[in-house]
Amino acid sequence: MKRTFAELGFPGRLIAVEGLDGSGKSTQVHLLQKWLEQQGCKVFFSEWNSSALVKSATSRGKKENLLTSTTFSLIHATDFADRYERQLLPLLRAGYIVLCDRYAFTAFARDVVRGVPSDWVRGVYSFAALPDITFFFKAHLEVSLTRILDNRPVLKFHEAGMDLKLSPDPYESFRLFQGRIFEQYLAMSTEFHFTMIDANQRIEEQQGVVRSIMTAKVDLKKYSTSKAS
Amino acid sequence: MPARKKSPARSSRPARPAASSSVVVPEISAKRFFGHGLPGVDLAKLSGKLIVFEGADGSGRSTQIGQVARWLEGNGHATLQVGLKRSTLVSEQLDQAQQGNILSRTTLSLFYATDFADQLEHAILPALRAGVVVLADRYIYTLMARDLVRGVDEGWLRNLFGIALVPDAVFYLEVSPEQLVQRVFAKNQSLDYWESGMDLGLSRDMFDSFLQYQGLMRDTFRRLQKTYGFAIIDGERSPKDINAEFRERIDRVLAGQ
Repeated sequence: MKRTFAELGFPGRLIAVEGLDGSGKSTQVHLLQKWLEQQGCKVFFSEWNSSALVKSATSRGKKENLLTSTTFSLIHATDFADRYERQLLPLLRAGYIVLCDRYAFTAFARDVVRGVPSDWVRGVYSFAALPDITFFFKAHLEVSLTRILDNRPVLKFHEAGMDLKLSPDPYESFRLFQGRIFEQYLAMSTEFHFTMIDANQRIEEQQGVVRSIMTAKVDLKKYSTSKAS
Repeated sequence: MPARKKSPARSSRPARPAASSSVVVPEISAKRFFGHGLPGVDLAKLSGKLIVFEGADGSGRSTQIGQVARWLEGNGHATLQVGLKRSTLVSEQLDQAQQGNILSRTTLSLFYATDFADQLEHAILPALRAGVVVLADRYIYTLMARDLVRGVDEGWLRNLFGIALVPDAVFYLEVSPEQLVQRVFAKNQSLDYWESGMDLGLSRDMFDSFLQYQGLMRDTFRRLQKTYGFAIIDGERSPKDINAEFRERIDRVLAGQ
């Protein structure tokens, strides 16, 4: 994953958002999408772990606790590849702005924390190009944790990182797991040219920064649907 | 030299080694992964043997594996048979995907790799830890060959399958495409879509496509043989002769040679 879609000559642009659960990244990407739509841009939103066929295997594996760190990694890579080849690439060829809530970096962070070798997992995802912009929403760890733990007190097994056996208490396990993921994200931020957003700011402040970076880096007029008329 | 004629004290019936009460304990051989391997596996604890059989449908693979398993068990060795697309995790979804032919190349590769990894971790490795002789009906070489024929990057595949354990022996049953097509028809009414490589668009004529595709697969296996050094077994001989060769070769594997 070395070159961006722009560098590879795609007419479309891929914008990824990354960050911990509770960092506010989904809110931000939603607001970005609304704004781009209002500008009349061709925009498409794609979510992590959402390809239909693979989803049934993933949820079964998680429910029945069949997954090891390697199969967990591979099944998510399969899901990503399915979306990448059947959805993202065609849209990018057709000149869309594609917004991705999480990209391969989520896998790099989680899988490495689960003990998978980092260059192996990077190699598995090497068929994918680098996003044109990757916004990383960096909030204080404690803030992200509180947001999640306040909202949804029932944590799923893998979500809490219980498979890592860091703690028998799901809340404590979640804290430790997220802490380690956070470290992985920060360690790869230069390698993959993350654009860091201070997620401790107000929602509107963050969105202002995101929109101004978009305007500076992407020629939005090119993506307008009404261009031809 | 056929090492199977053991226990000279009771050699009155050398033709039936199973009748002997002595059981040969296989030598433990050092194991290694192709690449990064799997986290948390202690290779020194794998006391069993991993023997891989590769070859096209109709090459006689399954027949031979069945016979080898009976022979090994007759000699006192526990066996386990594994194969592709048999994992509890994704085999169902893989079937669905293949029937609809809806997945792209990278996705299908990764799906197969997931199936393989699941079986490696939940069937092959536990059996090897327990000292079982594992007979694999196809392994990563088939997965790699299928993808290579379809233009998938070899370096990418090598990294992906770096999780795999290097087998103690790999046998590739080679049968010419012309022979294969005859054998397939002797067994089935029609040619299989995937085994004919119809997704490659080599020819609209299925018979033609089958011959071309199986020819490409054979060439790729020969090329992989140079890298991975497995044994090419002439599959056009009688099943009995082939089985005799397997017994001889597997005896050597069990002796740690």
